[in-house]
Amino acid sequence: MNPIRKRRVFSILFVLLFSVSGISLILYSLNSNLDYFFTPTELKDRNIPSEKRIKVGGMVLSGSVERASSKISFIITDYENSVKVVYEGIVPDLFKEDSGVVVLGVLRNKTIYAEEVLAKHDENYMPPNIEMNNDN
Amino acid sequence: MFNFAFNSLYEALYMNGHGLYVWSVVILVFLSLLGFFIGYTIKIKKIKDKLNEPN
Amino acid sequence: MIKKFIHQFASPKTYLYQVDRFYSYIFLFSIITYIISITWGLLYTPEDFVQGNSYRIIYLHVPASFLSQSLYIAMAISSVTYLIWRVKLAAYLVIAIAPIGAMTTFIALISGSIWGIPTWGTWWQWDARITSTLILFIMYLGLISLHNSFSNHEKADKLLSWLVIVGAINIPIIKKSVDWWSTLHQSASITLTDKPSIDPVMLYPLIGSITGFFGLVICLVLLSSKYQIFIREKNKSWVKDYV
Repeated sequence: MNPIRKRRVFSILFVLLFSVSGISLILYSLNSNLDYFFTPTELKDRNIPSEKRIKVGGMVLSGSVERASSKISFIITDYENSVKVVYEGIVPDLFKEDSGVVVLGVLRNKTIYAEEVLAKHDENYMPPNIEMNNDN
Repeated sequence: MFNFAFNSLYEALYMNGHGLYVWSVVILVFLSLLGFFIGYTIKIKKIKDKLNEPN
Repeated sequence: MIKKFIHQFASPKTYLYQVDRFYSYIFLFSIITYIISITWGLLYTPEDFVQGNSYRIIYLHVPASFLSQSLYIAMAISSVTYLIWRVKLAAYLVIAIAPIGAMTTFIALISGSIWGIPTWGTWWQWDARITSTLILFIMYLGLISLHNSFSNHEKADKLLSWLVIVGAINIPIIKKSVDWWSTLHQSASITLTDKPSIDPVMLYPLIGSITGFFGLVICLVLLSSKYQIFIREKNKSWVKDYV
C-alpha cells in the first residue's frame, strides 16, 4: 500500500479510536442515568428522596393485583425485592399478573403513588394455542 | 400455517380494535416507498431531459 | 493492482450500465417477496398470545429498523472507501443513501410509536433504544442538509465522509442499547447466536418481509445513486452518450 493511503488508513483508525473512547467515557459516566427505570432492588439500595418522580420497572407479582372502583394496587417484583404500587386510572391492555410493567410516580412510605403505568412485553412471540399444538 | 386468520373482511380490517394501528402503519410504509420510487424516477427523467437539450 | 481493480470496477460508467442490467430483476424479485410476505404476515399468521393482532406491526417495523441501521453501515463503508482510495462512486453513494436512510428511520420511529400505543400504553418514551434511533434520524437529516449547504462538492464529500465515520459509533449503541441499559423496548427476537424467540409460523413471513424490503431499498439506492451520477458527471462526454 502506498504511503499516502497508509496515512489515510491510520487517520481513519485514529479518528475512530478517538470517537469510540470519547463516547465510551461519556456513556460510562452517564451509565445509571441512561437506565430508563429502577428495579425494586436498586430502589432499596439507593436513597431516593420522597416526592421525586421516578420510574420503577419489574414484573407484576401474581395474586397481588387488587382493584377497587377506579383504583388499582399491585406489587412490582424483580424476584429479590418488591415494592407496592397504587394507581388511579386505566392500565394498558397488556397489563397483567406475571408480566412486565413500568410505572412513573413518587415514593412515599415504601409505596409508589403512580401517575402512569406502562406495560413492558418481552421478545417472545407465539400463537396462543402453542401448548395445545405441543400436546398433539 | 396458511390459514386465513380472520372470519370476514370486516374482522381483518378491525383486528379486534388494533386494525387502526396496523393498517395505518401499512399505509405509511407503502406511501413512503411509492413516493420515493416516483420521486427518483421523476428526478432522473428531468435531468435526462435537461442533458438531452441541445446547448 | 487493487487500486486498478477498484477504479475500473467502480467507474461511474461501468456502474451505471450494471445498474441498468440488473435493476428490473432485483425490483421484480423484491416487490413480489415483499407483497407476499406482508400479506402472509398480516392476514395468514395466527395472532400473538400476549399482544393479539397489534403484533402484526412487526412485519413493517422490524424491516425498516433493520434497514435504517444497515444503510448507515453501508454509508460508513462507502465513506472509508472514498477517504482511502478516493473512489468517486463511493462518495456519490454516501449522499445517495442518506435520504433513503432517513426515510427508513422515520418509518421505524413512527411505526414503533404507533405500535407502542396499544402495547406499552404510550407512543413516546425517552428510553435508550428509542432515543438512539431518534439520534440516527437527526444524523441522517444533518448529513443531508450539510451536503446541500456546500457549493463545492469535493469539500462536501470529504467532510461528510468523516462525519459518517465518527457517527458510526451510534450503530452499536442502538444495537446493544436493549442489553446495556434497562429499556421499555424489549430485547431482540432474532439474533445470530441464539434460537429466535419468535415462533416459526411468525418467523418465516418476517424473514420474507425483511428480504423484500431490503431489495426494494436497494432498488431505491440504485435509482438515487444513478441520479447522483447524472448530477455530478453531467459534463462528462460519456454521460451525454448514455442519455
